[in-house]
Amino acid sequence: MTFELELRGITKRYPGVLANDAVDLAVRPAEIHAIVGENGAGKTTLMSLLYGLFPPDEGEIFIRGERVEFSSALEAIAAGLGMVHQSFKLFPTLSVADNVVFRQEPRRRGLIDRAASVARVRELADRYGLAVDPEAVVEDLPVGVLQRVEILKALYRDANVLILDEPTAVLTPQERDKLFEVIRRLRDAGGTILFITHKLGEVMAISDRVTVLRNGRAVADLVTAETDPAEITLHMTGRAVDLDRRAPEHEPAQVVLKVDSLTVIGEHGRPAVADASFEVRSGEIVGIAGVAGNGQSELIEALCGLRETDGGAVSLVGMEITGADVAGRRSAGLAYIPEDRYAVGTIRQASVSENLLLGHHRNPSIQHRGWFDRQAVARLARRLVEVFDIKAGSVSGPVSTLSGGNLQKVVVAREMEQGTPLLIAEQPTRGLDIGAIEFVHGQLVRFRDQGGAVLMVSAELSEILALSTRILVMFEGRIVADLDPSKVAEPEIGLYMTGAHLEKAVA
Amino acid sequence: MLRRFPDFLGDMSRRALVSPVTFSLFFAFALAGAIVAVTGGDPLAAGEEMVTGAVTGSGLRNTLGRAVPIVGMALAVSIAFRSGIINLGGEGQMVIGGLAGTMVAIYVPGPGYLIVPLAMLAGAVVGAVWGLLPAYGQTWLRLPILITSLLLNYVARAVTGYLVRFHLLDDAVTLTSTRQVPEAARMPKMPVFGGVSLSLILVMVLVALLWMVYTRSVAGYESQMTGFNMRSARYGGIDVEQRTVQVMVVAGAIGGLIGTHLIIGEALRFIDGELVLAGFAWTGLLVSLLAVNRPIPIFITGLFFSGLQIGGLAMQRNAGVSWRLSQVLQAVVIVAVACRLSVWRSERRRAEPSEADAAGVGEV
Ligand SMILES: Nc1ncnc2c1ncn2[C@@H]1O[C@H](COP(=O)(O)OP(=O)(O)OP(=O)(O)O)[C@@H](O)[C@H]1O
Ligand SMILES: [Mg+2]
Repeated sequence: MTFELELRGITKRYPGVLANDAVDLAVRPAEIHAIVGENGAGKTTLMSLLYGLFPPDEGEIFIRGERVEFSSALEAIAAGLGMVHQSFKLFPTLSVADNVVFRQEPRRRGLIDRAASVARVRELADRYGLAVDPEAVVEDLPVGVLQRVEILKALYRDANVLILDEPTAVLTPQERDKLFEVIRRLRDAGGTILFITHKLGEVMAISDRVTVLRNGRAVADLVTAETDPAEITLHMTGRAVDLDRRAPEHEPAQVVLKVDSLTVIGEHGRPAVADASFEVRSGEIVGIAGVAGNGQSELIEALCGLRETDGGAVSLVGMEITGADVAGRRSAGLAYIPEDRYAVGTIRQASVSENLLLGHHRNPSIQHRGWFDRQAVARLARRLVEVFDIKAGSVSGPVSTLSGGNLQKVVVAREMEQGTPLLIAEQPTRGLDIGAIEFVHGQLVRFRDQGGAVLMVSAELSEILALSTRILVMFEGRIVADLDPSKVAEPEIGLYMTGAHLEKAVA
Repeated sequence: MLRRFPDFLGDMSRRALVSPVTFSLFFAFALAGAIVAVTGGDPLAAGEEMVTGAVTGSGLRNTLGRAVPIVGMALAVSIAFRSGIINLGGEGQMVIGGLAGTMVAIYVPGPGYLIVPLAMLAGAVVGAVWGLLPAYGQTWLRLPILITSLLLNYVARAVTGYLVRFHLLDDAVTLTSTRQVPEAARMPKMPVFGGVSLSLILVMVLVALLWMVYTRSVAGYESQMTGFNMRSARYGGIDVEQRTVQVMVVAGAIGGLIGTHLIIGEALRFIDGELVLAGFAWTGLLVSLLAVNRPIPIFITGLFFSGLQIGGLAMQRNAGVSWRLSQVLQAVVIVAVACRLSVWRSERRRAEPSEADAAGVGEV
């Protein structure tokens, strides 16, 4: 048979890294092919080579049996490839429709026909059940929606091979289920999908075959129906991984964060956070569960000083910080892992070590009277890279060469290693491989057991259940439940998350 | 910025060879030679006059002298650019600070070792205030610095013109000018290369200081990070508004220092409209862009541009080729560097996919 896609002996070297090492990959027509591997295993590199973003050092690519050599993504697109990147590539100030039709705009008398592009994008979105407003401006949209825009972009270009690089990392479970429907529909229409993920549950649920990359090499090519997560994990990491719940060593002690009827008015003039009150004590991890868009982001931004509050009070280790700015809160003892590592958590143009300082660069251990102690800075950078096993060519190199998961580790390492009493962690394991997730979970637990207080937001209910000492559920800006994870089951949390408990109460 | 110094040098020399700048210089000189040849001149003779005119005898002194305002204004604009602020108000900051410094030099009696620093200080303070206006305009009223700083250039010209014409006019001469700066209040010359202004040292100190600030200070780090990504900077607890104000104050102060130097060290009279004629602020802006806003490259590039201008004059004198050719040369260098830079970037884009590439765009 001819393969839809075949890669033979693909090798790509970067200074000091062999990102792909003689990789073979064969994908059959109308197949959903998962690609898994640890952070930095070379998944994104392999897909970028296939998509023509840069040429491989060695190796050949065949599409439907024919050898191709793309010199740019344009040629790959012309050959029917579409790629949705791990870091989105959208123009923030343009509308969804403008982004989707970019470079293939419908025209009328030589001019771009805006109305037609909106109509076509709407039609396409409806056909595949992707809920997107074509006229919305991209920078106003949450990440989950951006993901859909990226998929629309590929579909609009008639891609029959769709490459999705960690598409589910930023999605809620509901959004993910919708995406899977879309993917299945595409396959049933004869499309081929390459699907990168770190979540083995997803691999099992959706893929037909799975290829495992490890240190740049393809180490296994498996039929999904004939394998199981344990076997895949073993191929990926060479060991078994344990994400089980670990109970706290100590009883929660004194209050670290106290939030008192906090109200935040959102973009549309309605309260995004309404009258939220809760405490986080030292030695506990409080998890905030909720469907994305129910005020979690606004709550966290307000706590970190990045958003104005409209009522209520916040105090940190007994100190009132309601009106403090970001720097004031950070020096009062707050560390923060933001959900968007690309736009917020890291600075692309800066080096790895500069990124490892951000937000803690005024810490007296690395600077005296405004001058850095360069040895201390270098020591700090080295230590963080070592402890968190960040795979980076050199700490003075640009952070933009790191793989997605290693970039996340930069943020996590920086925020966790400052010895602050409070850590706010928003999607702390997004984009990490299971080995790294296990590691970060371990670190969060260690932080907790050393007396730190953690406030965690996660779209992964399993993560919340595994780590939290207490679970708060947010619905429409309100904290509607305060639950003990050892006494609740997932479905019950789901009821609160969707507001179903309210209907029950009324009935 | 946290690179070790020796690495930094090694890296620099390696990069210098493959850098777009080397290529562009070569290209620019070749083109200029061709122009001279086509118009019936002798390119080699012209070139020789240009080089000797720029680096020998009084030429060297003039080159170093002219480098002071060029490098100074380039430094002023570079610190703004580095933190993402487009400050086009260098000229106004220079002019208004220059007049303030001149007034101190002329009207405050006292010994030179007091008056000269005092005049420079006055220039710096008034220049800083002039830089503060657009900064507050942006942080309080959301008026873009790009526009307000540019417009304030005209205000500065008008204000200084008015003051000179109606309040400070020297009736003894036919110029619209202040009195001459008294002997004692002039910027001293150093006894090297036939008398180079002491301000050269000041500029060199500034270069070293800024290099230090950007490689190892918290303030430099914060400014640079703000310039890279304002959202991340805010997240990192950097007070972007406060940094904007500080940067504009420093940029304005440097402008004011240079303006004062140009009068008490060079022209000796503040003649209405004279200070802007040489276009130092704009040459400085180009120098800063070419040197990607780094202090040490700015110093080298500034010296080079100064040499081009001085050498051009010598070439006209001695080889009969118009000095405008050196302006052509300057322009070609800029265009060539810009072209090479964009080619170089698109090559790098191969290795590192950018927004446009991923969207399926080749060159935009
Ligand atoms: N432009 C580059 N320059 C240097 N090294 C690079 C560059 N791009 C990637 N690398 C390195 O190549 C390796 C593979 O990176 P890649 O992005 O393909 O990993 P990945 O499997 O997608 O990981 P993740 O799951 O974390 O996204 C990493 O070690 C990374 O640091
Ligand atoms: Mg990746």
